[in-house]
Amino acid sequence: MPIRAAFVSPQVRAGAAVVGLVLIVAVLAPWLAPNDPQNQDLLATLLPPAWAPGGDAHYPLGTDSLGRCVLSRTLYGARIALIVAVAAACGAALAGSALALLAGYAGGLIDRSISRTVDAWMAFPPVVLSLLLMVGLGTGVFNVVLSIVLVDWTRFCRVVRAEVLVVRRRDYVTAARLLGFSHLRIVLREVLPGVMPLIITLVSLEMGIAVIVEATLSFVGLSVPASAVAWGMMIADARSYMHEAVWGMIAPVVAIFITVLGFNVLGEGLRRSLDARLNNARL
Amino acid sequence: MLQLIGGIVLRRLVGAVPVMLVVSIVVFIVLRMLPADPIGMMLPPNATAADAAALRAAFGLDKPLPEQYGLWLAGALHGDLGISIHFHERVVGLIAAALPATVELALAALVLAVAIGIPGGLLLHAVRSRQGAIAANFAVSALLSVPSFLWAILLIVLFGVTFPVLPFTGRVSGGVALPGWTGFALIDTLAAGHLRDFLDAAEHLLLPALALALGFAPLVMRVLRSSLMDAAAEDYVTTARLRGVSEGRILVHHMLKNAALPTVTLIGVQFGFLFGGTLLVELIYSFPGLGNLMVQAVRDHDLPLLQGVAVVFCAAVLLANTLVDALYVVLNPRLRRAR
Repeated sequence: MPIRAAFVSPQVRAGAAVVGLVLIVAVLAPWLAPNDPQNQDLLATLLPPAWAPGGDAHYPLGTDSLGRCVLSRTLYGARIALIVAVAAACGAALAGSALALLAGYAGGLIDRSISRTVDAWMAFPPVVLSLLLMVGLGTGVFNVVLSIVLVDWTRFCRVVRAEVLVVRRRDYVTAARLLGFSHLRIVLREVLPGVMPLIITLVSLEMGIAVIVEATLSFVGLSVPASAVAWGMMIADARSYMHEAVWGMIAPVVAIFITVLGFNVLGEGLRRSLDARLNNARL
Repeated sequence: MLQLIGGIVLRRLVGAVPVMLVVSIVVFIVLRMLPADPIGMMLPPNATAADAAALRAAFGLDKPLPEQYGLWLAGALHGDLGISIHFHERVVGLIAAALPATVELALAALVLAVAIGIPGGLLLHAVRSRQGAIAANFAVSALLSVPSFLWAILLIVLFGVTFPVLPFTGRVSGGVALPGWTGFALIDTLAAGHLRDFLDAAEHLLLPALALALGFAPLVMRVLRSSLMDAAAEDYVTTARLRGVSEGRILVHHMLKNAALPTVTLIGVQFGFLFGGTLLVELIYSFPGLGNLMVQAVRDHDLPLLQGVAVVFCAAVLLANTLVDALYVVLNPRLRRAR
């Protein structure tokens, strides 16, 4: 199993450790957070962090303009970020890879029409298309996921299709054809495992992208309802008060950075180790 | 040579026509899924149903979808993208006023990104030791994890709030009037001979452009480094080395020339990413360009304006890709002979 072997790579381990940490924070947020993230303490607004002069030990990273605990909100924000990251990356992988398998394996007119659609789709700057989709779909976590899937399926489709074209010509695929296996069985049992390492790598990188897109959309106010806690929303709220309290903005920025870095290091590590293994296997 | 480039540009532009059609249809369909009623938001609270119907008819929103699209397309081909619901102005005029700011920002960001990315790529290439390579990989991963919209905020915190040395709202300071000949603040102020205004515009441009550039430069660094690595393994490098050519000369005259090609391709492919990135950066810096106009249109549910801005964004990306293709032929003599 090359996937298991990839975990020997220090880069993969480091990335997985960071992602695991964020996951633990997201799951355990109710126990880790010192305060209710929505609780407003209007007598203690825009407090600095606990270590700064004027800080309150009750609010370790200070409070925002409505007196809500910045640390608690940052911890809770990991939930939306990870839900969107996982769901959107898996959705985009599923849609993009399915079309890529179809295009690459079937070829001909099907391949041409799918490839043309991908080309046209990629003329949209991703931010522009996702904003449009959010306007069309309306806000909400499910719609954020749907709009990321509808924007980013092309990333998977383009790259996986190229790999399918390579795998399709391997001898074992020809052998499977000669044995008279059905097309569906060949695609799922022979071709798909061959492109799986690539898909796994792309999923990890896509999760990082999805975290950024969600933060972007919630920054513009088009992501989740105001009752939820999202990092982009925190940045947007804190921006109006940055001269008085800069921490409300720094904390979510750092949280986004750590999460995206985790996914990127993991994805890069997987790419390197899985690629190397594929290369060795070819020799 | 010129003829060849002209041919390529022409072919690409013709190829872009069906893409633009698909793009405009997608935009059209997506915006008709809208859960909110843009007309309802425009009407005063005491309006009657007849008022709403009249307004709907005035904007053509009462006709069936294909007909609406046909009308819009016919107008677009004549350079008319309709009337903005919110501003009550021609969409084309609003876009024309905003577009130069965005193009100026994107170009400035591109220049900065190349100015940061190429030395950065060379620096990465110079790293030889194993530990150094691991550190360099990590640094690139870390840089790639900061999107330009976070850079925009970090730069404001650093140079706008903590050390207030640079302005971070708008294109120029209050009181400075732009002549508005080309719409490019830097060119207009320089042409008018207003050196102080030019510096003011440049100061305002610096932080947003830098934010975009910092989001883009790591990509340039990474691709330049890997193509330098590929070039280093080529026979012509060994030959040059055997001929006693100095390492510096090999790098500049042999390797960089070849490594430039994938780098230019990357810039072309990713220009949409950079251009789209202007949207949030403009919002954060209150920079009066296309991105701010689009966010405004999103908030007002201004369908005609949103449609126009989205289509213009895509057209700009396709145009940029075409220009990069032409540049590619200029840089790569092998492609010239093949045709």
